[in-house]
Amino acid sequence: MASILLPELFAMLSSDLFLLLSLLTCLLDDKVPKALPYVFQIAALSGFGHLSISKMFLGDFDEAMRFWYNVFYLGVALATVVAVNIYLAMIRKDWTVAKLWSATVTFPTMLISLVSTYSYGYLQGATLPPLLMPILIVFSLTMLTVTMGVLLSPRIFGKSRRR
Amino acid sequence: MNIKSIKITKSMKFLVLLLLSLIVGMANAAIFYSLTVQPAVAITGAKVVFVSGNDFPTGSSLGSNSTWVSLALKAYPNVTLTYEQPVNISNTDTANHNFRLRHVTITPANGQPQVGNYTSISFVVQNTAGVAQGSFNYTTTGLNWNTASTMSYMTLPASASWIIYVETKAVAGANDVTADIQIAVDVV
Repeated sequence: MASILLPELFAMLSSDLFLLLSLLTCLLDDKVPKALPYVFQIAALSGFGHLSISKMFLGDFDEAMRFWYNVFYLGVALATVVAVNIYLAMIRKDWTVAKLWSATVTFPTMLISLVSTYSYGYLQGATLPPLLMPILIVFSLTMLTVTMGVLLSPRIFGKSRRR
Repeated sequence: MNIKSIKITKSMKFLVLLLLSLIVGMANAAIFYSLTVQPAVAITGAKVVFVSGNDFPTGSSLGSNSTWVSLALKAYPNVTLTYEQPVNISNTDTANHNFRLRHVTITPANGQPQVGNYTSISFVVQNTAGVAQGSFNYTTTGLNWNTASTMSYMTLPASASWIIYVETKAVAGANDVTADIQIAVDVV
């Protein structure tokens, strides 16, 4: 029997995203504010709070309510990923890092979030566009090709070496 | 030594954040796992069931899953009325099961004048050959019931059907009253 996905999956995913952001921004500390990794750690801890509250009030909160506050948290996490991407591209004008960030962080997190939401909706019996999954697969394959092209481009490696 | 002079390198910061991330991640996973652990409750038919006997009293009823039975028994004044095979307890399993009878409730309650109309109501568990395996007796003392003690567990062999034999007796000149007895059958 297939296990039903819980809406708390989104909170756990979001919390892990914040942890990932914390580690990545620590590595990029010359390009982002110094306090950012710690802010993301606190944001990840709030995910722990989300899960704890869900567990404590599991009998009191209905599924729709749990879904919405967990999805909201996921939305915040995804918006932060995009915001960091935009910050790197627009404020720091570091196009190489921004492109790499887009291909290795923004796109995969978006894809994982979409697939998770789609799977959750599917298991709950929600009606989702039937073409969504094929479109996602084609989109991911295209992005994978582009990403590999960007990552393996000798021009980028050349720039990295110069720095 | 000035604390500010200690240089915190990037790798140290990263290590601290990595450790914090591991702790938070594991705590999240533990909570999520505790949410996903769900007991699986499979619905199966009862293995030990009631089966109406050759002497099933009129007005009695057997539950749709044979897991309960309501017997409409009579008692005559100053005479013992016997139901030789009102209901059977049947083991439909391929393994032996232990069972016992346990008193739950009886009405009218102690102290009520109706109680004095009864002398005894006895339930005897007999095996397939008709040999008594245990008894479960209700008697009265004045206006009070002496309720039956919980029986010891008896082993009902696989695919066997045992008989619940009943005897009732009312006092001479008893009035037309009804007693309701609820008995549980514990099966292990």
